Amino acid sequence: MQNLDVISVNIWAIIASLCNLLILTLIVKKFLFKPVKKIIDTRRAAIDADYAQAAAARAEAEENRLNYEAAMAAAEQTSSQIIADATRVAEHRSSEIVAEAREKATELRRQAEADAVLERKKAEDDMKREIADVSAQLTGKLLQREINEEDHRALIDSFLQEIGTDDDDK
Amino acid sequence: MVDYGLIAMMILPILACIVLKVLFTPAGEGVQIAGALVYVEIPAPVMNLYISESQVNSWAVMISILGLCLYLTHGLTAKAVTRRQLIAEWLVEKSEKLVKDNMGGFFAEWGPFIAAIMGLSAFSSLICLVGLFSPTGDVNVTFGWAILVFFLIMFYKFRGGFWNYFKGLFKPIPVFAPMNLIGEIATPVSMAFRHYGNILSGAVISALIGSALTGLSKSLLGALPGILGDIPLLRVGLPAVLSIYFDVFSGVMQAFIFAMLTMLNVAGAVPWDAWNARRKKRNKPEIQNTAA
Repeated sequence: MQNLDVISVNIWAIIASLCNLLILTLIVKKFLFKPVKKIIDTRRAAIDADYAQAAAARAEAEENRLNYEAAMAAAEQTSSQIIADATRVAEHRSSEIVAEAREKATELRRQAEADAVLERKKAEDDMKREIADVSAQLTGKLLQREINEEDHRALIDSFLQEIGTDDDDK
Repeated sequence: MVDYGLIAMMILPILACIVLKVLFTPAGEGVQIAGALVYVEIPAPVMNLYISESQVNSWAVMISILGLCLYLTHGLTAKAVTRRQLIAEWLVEKSEKLVKDNMGGFFAEWGPFIAAIMGLSAFSSLICLVGLFSPTGDVNVTFGWAILVFFLIMFYKFRGGFWNYFKGLFKPIPVFAPMNLIGEIATPVSMAFRHYGNILSGAVISALIGSALTGLSKSLLGALPGILGDIPLLRVGLPAVLSIYFDVFSGVMQAFIFAMLTMLNVAGAVPWDAWNARRKKRNKPEIQNTAA
């Protein structure tokens, strides 16, 4: 087989090389550019989605923070309210208790005074009777005569009654 | 498993080309500065169609690039964990940015075309590192690309109306018409010849230096006894260093230059004002090329 000359123009070879370049362009476009650009687009979409997700998450976190702060403020208010209520109730209750206790004490004292009065009256009665007995006996001994004890007692009673009423009037 | 298949898809075509070349290379002596090796000659109208080294190597490079694309985009994930995915994304983003910076937002879809030009040109030039003929060292290959670019330039120039374009040829004065016409045609021709000439000259210089060093080695060390005298010892080293410039640097540089010229010529060819005026007449929205 022979070699071509260094410069040998051949129309078919020119057309062949022109077609070769066109075919290679299609090859490079279809097998290199298309898949690579597709994958780059996919990645860009994924990154965009990630960014959107991150922004959404940040917004959600911000919202949560605001909600939390609001909830905290509300809780603080509620707690101070509760404390105030409790304090008021306790004060009310304590004053009630004190009043009740005072009332009870007054009652007790009144009862004690009443008891004391009753006791004194009873003691007075006993004393009167004693005095009547003693005076009856004394009188009997003095007079040496047996008087009717019944009459005697009635007499003394009336006398003591007089004294008693005199005392009460004073 | 798929990865190994795709790596094989990248390497096997090149190996096949090497085998093919070894099988078809005629036994020869001395310096050979010639075009591509012809494998098959097919009768065709106008002129015969040669299936030459430049065609076969071009196809091999295309299959390798296809394998590379498939390998880089195999197992893409949204989280970009593999190194090859990073490379693939880097390639795509860089070529799109390059296109956008040089051509403007209107040509945003041109990334694959520019990437294809760069890849095909660079790999076609670099294939000479494994001893194969660079398809870009064949004028037909670069001329084919340049003609495609020329078609694209013309397509955009006619957007402003054929009559406007025709009038533009006679500016600033009618005498300039032949020069303007030549200027139009010169663009693809200069692009094609620049690329082709750079790669071929690199190959020629490599061949010349190789043969010169062989001759020097023979005359200096030929007196050594036995097989030692037959080995061209001086060829070790220097050609490899020169190859870094003439093959690697020049090949990549020319690929970049060809792509840049394509972008600048096509983007500069668009007559925005005339095109928008025509669009306005047809009640179509105005086109703005953002940040060219």
